[in-house]
Amino acid sequence: MSDKTIVRGISCGGTGGSLAHVDSENGKIVRIRPLRWNEKYTDEELKTRLWEFESHGLTLRPTMKTTPPYYAFGYKKRVYSKNRVRYPLKRVDWEPGGDPDKINPQNRGKSKFERISWDEAAKIIAGEMRRVSEKYGPTSIFCIGEDGHKESKDIHSGGGWHSNLMDMTVGNFTREVRTPDSVEGWYWGSKHIWGPGLYMGLGMMAPSQNIIKDVSDNTDMIVLQSGDWETTQNYASQYWSTILRFWLKQGKDFIVIDPFCNYTSVCHDEMKWIPILPNTDAALDFAIMYVWLQEGTYDKEYVETHVVGYDKVFDYILGKGHDGIAKTPAWASEKTGIPEWTIKALARKWAKKATSIGHYCGCHIRGPYSHEPARTEVYKLCMQGLGKPGIHQIHLQSWQTAWPKFLGSAVDPQPAILGQRAQQFVPKEQEIPRTMAHHAILNGKAEWWGTPQIIYALADEQFEKHEYPSPEEGYDAQVHMVWSEKPCNQGCWNGGFLFQDAMRDPSLECVITNHQWIENDSLFADLILPVSTCLEEMDDVGCSQGDSVTSCAIQEAASDTVGESMSDYEIAQRVGAEFGEDTVTMLTGGMTVEEWLPYVFKQSAVSKEISFEEFKEKGYYIPEFREDWDQLPSGQADFYNDPENNPLDTPTGKMEWWSEPLAENFPDDKERPPMAEWIEGGSAEDGWTHDESPWGERAKKYPLVMNTCPGRWRVHVQGDDITWLREIETCKVRGADGYLYEPMWLAPEDAEARGIKDGDIVKVVNDRGTILGGARISERVIPGSAYMNKGSRADPIGPHLDRGGCTNLLSPEGPISKHCWGFVVTGYLVDVQKVEDSEWDAWKKEYPEAFERAYDPAVGRTYDSWVVEGE
Amino acid sequence: MKTFCIDLNVCTGCHGCQLGCKDEHCGNCWLPYAAEQPDTGQFWMNVRQFERGKRPHVKVTYIPTPCQRCEDAPCMKAAKDGAMYRRDDGMPIIDPEKSKGQRQIVDACPYGAIFWNEELEIPQKCTGCAHLLDGADPMISVPRCFDNCPTGAIQWGEEDELDLEGAELLHPEYGTKSHVWYKGLPKKFVAGIVYDPVEKEIVEGAKCTLVGPSGSFTAMTDDMGDFWLRDLPEDDWTLTIEGLGRTKVIEVSTKTEDVGLGDIALD
Repeated sequence: MSDKTIVRGISCGGTGGSLAHVDSENGKIVRIRPLRWNEKYTDEELKTRLWEFESHGLTLRPTMKTTPPYYAFGYKKRVYSKNRVRYPLKRVDWEPGGDPDKINPQNRGKSKFERISWDEAAKIIAGEMRRVSEKYGPTSIFCIGEDGHKESKDIHSGGGWHSNLMDMTVGNFTREVRTPDSVEGWYWGSKHIWGPGLYMGLGMMAPSQNIIKDVSDNTDMIVLQSGDWETTQNYASQYWSTILRFWLKQGKDFIVIDPFCNYTSVCHDEMKWIPILPNTDAALDFAIMYVWLQEGTYDKEYVETHVVGYDKVFDYILGKGHDGIAKTPAWASEKTGIPEWTIKALARKWAKKATSIGHYCGCHIRGPYSHEPARTEVYKLCMQGLGKPGIHQIHLQSWQTAWPKFLGSAVDPQPAILGQRAQQFVPKEQEIPRTMAHHAILNGKAEWWGTPQIIYALADEQFEKHEYPSPEEGYDAQVHMVWSEKPCNQGCWNGGFLFQDAMRDPSLECVITNHQWIENDSLFADLILPVSTCLEEMDDVGCSQGDSVTSCAIQEAASDTVGESMSDYEIAQRVGAEFGEDTVTMLTGGMTVEEWLPYVFKQSAVSKEISFEEFKEKGYYIPEFREDWDQLPSGQADFYNDPENNPLDTPTGKMEWWSEPLAENFPDDKERPPMAEWIEGGSAEDGWTHDESPWGERAKKYPLVMNTCPGRWRVHVQGDDITWLREIETCKVRGADGYLYEPMWLAPEDAEARGIKDGDIVKVVNDRGTILGGARISERVIPGSAYMNKGSRADPIGPHLDRGGCTNLLSPEGPISKHCWGFVVTGYLVDVQKVEDSEWDAWKKEYPEAFERAYDPAVGRTYDSWVVEGE
Repeated sequence: MKTFCIDLNVCTGCHGCQLGCKDEHCGNCWLPYAAEQPDTGQFWMNVRQFERGKRPHVKVTYIPTPCQRCEDAPCMKAAKDGAMYRRDDGMPIIDPEKSKGQRQIVDACPYGAIFWNEELEIPQKCTGCAHLLDGADPMISVPRCFDNCPTGAIQWGEEDELDLEGAELLHPEYGTKSHVWYKGLPKKFVAGIVYDPVEKEIVEGAKCTLVGPSGSFTAMTDDMGDFWLRDLPEDDWTLTIEGLGRTKVIEVSTKTEDVGLGDIALD
C-alpha cells in the first residue's frame, strides 16, 4: 500500500508535462498515474480555470483527467533502470594531471569505468579546473548543456550549474550555444520573411494565441505536412489526441504529407496520406502555388497588400526565373514521387477550403537546405490569406486554447514558477555553437554567422560573423577540458561520428559528464557523475507547453535517491566545496531548497492567485484564464486585417518573400538566395555544401534518403532503456543474435531489391560510417527512403561503427547551407544492406571488447556493460 | 458484472493501457490476487496491432486485448484443484498458489490472454486490477488500463450501464460467452485513387461498386480521387469503376487481407 503521493510533471522536455500522481511506498515508486483536476479544486473554482467552448454544436474542454505522455507511465523503469549511473565513475585508463601518457583519449568510448567516491571525484574535478585554467586560461574549459538532461525541473534544473561554478571559481569558460535544433528551417528561412516569430527567434508563426478555437470554428482542412501529432505531443501531454478527435468529429479534412505513414495517419481512418520523398516539400509547395497562379485561386489582395517581392517568386514559379523552369505539377511529381493528379487535386482542394498547416515543429525543416521548404510554406500560407479566419500555422505553441491571466506572452517555458538559476544561456566572451562542437575541437577553429541562441535571436543577427577562438584577447584559449550537463550531442545533433572523434582527440585532457544514465556521450567521458531524476528531488514544476491548461506543482521526492546520485545543483555545490564554503554560499545564496521554494514562488506570477501554503497543501495549481481569451485576435489576424497598423517585425513591416537583407549581406549565396528556390545541392567542387539528393553523384553509391523523425517510443534520445517500451512491436526488432536493434523501415520494393527480409540485421551506411538496425518492411514507407527514428542509444563497436542504430552518427557534420550552422539530421543519403556473416566475424575479431560487454535485451546496454566488475 | 467496452475508433495506439498494467503489476506483488508479473514478455493488457492495406491506403488497427471475462471460460474448465475462481463481479481469477504447475490453463485460452511465468511456474493474466477494486491501495480504485487511457477509448463499469450500442465481441465464434466489448472491430476494406491517364487528373465522383456473393457495396470517389469501401465481409469481389463515360473492372479479394489498389488509371 502506498504511503505517499506526489504531483509532478514528468516530461522529457522543459515543458513540465501534463501532471501525474506518483505513488510510493517506503521510498520506492509503486505507480505513476493521471490525476483529476477536481481532486483538490471545486467545480466552481475550476470554472475559471478549465476553459470550454462550443463550435458547430460540439463542445471542447480539457479532460478532467490529466493526460501525461505515455512514456511517463513507464518512468518507474527509467528511474530504476539497470542503466542508471549509481556512483561517480572514472575511466580505468585515465588519470588527471594532463600527462599525455595517462589520458588515453583513444580509449574513450571503449574502456570501462570504475567506481570512485564523491570525495575523490570532487577533488579531481576541482584539481583539473585549476590546472587546466592556469595552464591554458579559463576559456579552455568548455561547458556543454544549456538544456540539461531535459527532465522538467526548477530548483534542481540542470543546464549551467557547471558554468555558474566556473564563473565563481576559475572566472570564465567557453559556452556551448544552444542552436535552433528542431526548428532549423523556420529559424534560418522563414524568419527572413515574417520576422523572428515565436519566442522572438524560433521563426515559427507568431502570434500563436487563440488558434484552437478559431480552427474549430473556421478551418475546413488541416494539412499535417510532416506533422505527427500523436507522436510529438508526447513532449508534454497526450491532450492533442482529444483535439484531433474533436476536429475529426466536426468533419474537418486531414491530409498527411509525409514520407512515412506516421502514427497520426495510421490510427485515424479519416486521414488521407500522401507519401512524399524526404526533403522535397519545397517542390510540392511550388507546384501547388503554380496551380493557384494558373487558376487564379489565391488571395490576390493579401499578396498585393501584405507581401514584398512576390513578383520575383511568381516569376520563378512560372518559369520566368533564372532557371527558366516552370514549377508545374509534372515537374514536382518527378521530385516528390507524388503523382501529378494528386498534386493538382490537393492544390484545388486547398484553395477551396480554409486550410491550416499543422506540425509540432516539422521534420521537413531539418534536412539539407531546410530554409527552403520553411520559406515555401510561408508563401503558401500567405497566398491563402494567412490570419484570415481558419488559416494558420498550427505548431508547438498553439495548444494554449485560453490564455492565462498572468501570461503576457507565450515566451516563458515555465511561466508558473521560475527558480532556474543555471546560467548556461548567458552570453560569454568565447562560444561554440552546439552544431559545431565536433568541428571546433577537431579543427581548433570555427567560424559561423548568427546562432547567438535558440530564442531571442533576430534575423539580422544572422549577418554577424563569429569565431572560435574568440577574437577577444585573453579569452581565446583552445578547448582542453569538457564538462557536459547534457551528454547527448552524438545522438541529438549533427555529425555524431565526428563528435565521437572529437571526444577522442588528444587535445582533450579531461572530459566530464553529469547524467542519470550511462549512455551516449557519457561513454566517451573520463569522469561520469551520477545525477538524480526528477522523482528523487524536492522541487516544483510548471507546465506551460502542450497540455490542455497551464499548471504548476510542488512536490517532495517520490523516491529515495538511487545510489549516490545528486542533482546538478548539488553536484556544483559538492565540487564548489573544494574551493571553499564561500563558493557554496554563492551557488546556493545561503539558502536551502526548502527556503528557495517559497522564495521563487513569491517571485512568480502564480503568487498573485494563491498563497504558498495553500499551493503546498494542494500540491498543484491551475492559473485562471483571461475572461476575454476567446476575443483575442487569432494568430496573425491583426496583421491580416490591418497590416499598416500591425506591422511585422521585418524591415518593411510586411511579409518579405524577397529578403533585401539577405540579398545585401550574402549576394552570392546560391544555397540560401534572397527568396526560396528549389535547391538540390551538388558537388563541393561546384560550391555546394551538400550532395544529399537522389539526383547527385553520391546517390549512385547511397541511393536511399534517410527520414529520421523523433521516435514514437522515445523522446529524442530519452527513454531508450525503458523495458516496457522496448518490447512494443514497433519499438525494436529482435535480431537473430538476440540483440534488440533499432527498426530500419523499408518499402517492400527497396527491401526486395536488396534481398532483405523482415527482421534481418542490416547496416545503414554512408561515407561517414555504419550503424546497424533491424529490418522492418512496411507499406508505410515510400520507396527511395529509409525510415529510422533518431535517438536510439549509441552502442559503439569501433570507430564509425555503431550497433545501437543511433542515426545522428551518420548525419552530415556540416551546416544546413554555407551561412547557416544549423543541423542536418534527416534527408541525407545512405544505403541499407544486409550484414553478412563474414562482416560479423571481422568485427568480432577486430573489436572483441564490444562483443564481450554485458547486454540485457530488455534494457540494452546496462551499468554492468561499462563498469568493471566487483565495484 | 464489471467489464470493459473498448472503442477502437478512438484508440490512438499509445499503449498507455499496456504500460499501466505493467506499472501496476511488474515490481509490485498483489497477493492473493496476483503474483508479480515478469518485467517483460507478459501482456495482461495486450495492445495488438495490425498493419492493413497498401501504400498509400495504409492504416493500423490497434486492439487492446485483456482477459475477455468469459462466462463459459475454457481456462476455468482446464483448472484443477480450485486453481481458478470467479469473483462476484464476474472476473475469473487464477489463484497464484493453487495454480502452480498448471500450464494447461495457459493453453486453454483461445485469446492468448494467459501467460506462463517460468520462474514461478504459474499461469498469469489480467485480474481487472481486482486488488484495487477491493481497496488494496487508497490512492486508486479502478483498473489501471482504464485510468491511463487518455482518449476514453477504454470504458469500464457495470456491463448494463456501459453504452454498448454497436459493440461486438472479439471472437464470438469461440463460443466462450466473453464479456469484453469492442466498437470498431476491423472489417476489410477496398480502397484506391481513380485518375484520368489522359488528362492526368483525378476523377471525382466516379462510382465504385463492389459485387460479390455476400452482397454489393458502393462508394463515390472524393475530391482527391479516393474511394474507400469499408466494413466489408471477407469474400471475392468484382469492382466496377464508372466515370468519364468509361468503365473499369477489377477482380479483388478480401478473403485474407485488405485491398489497397493505389492509383487506378480509368482508361
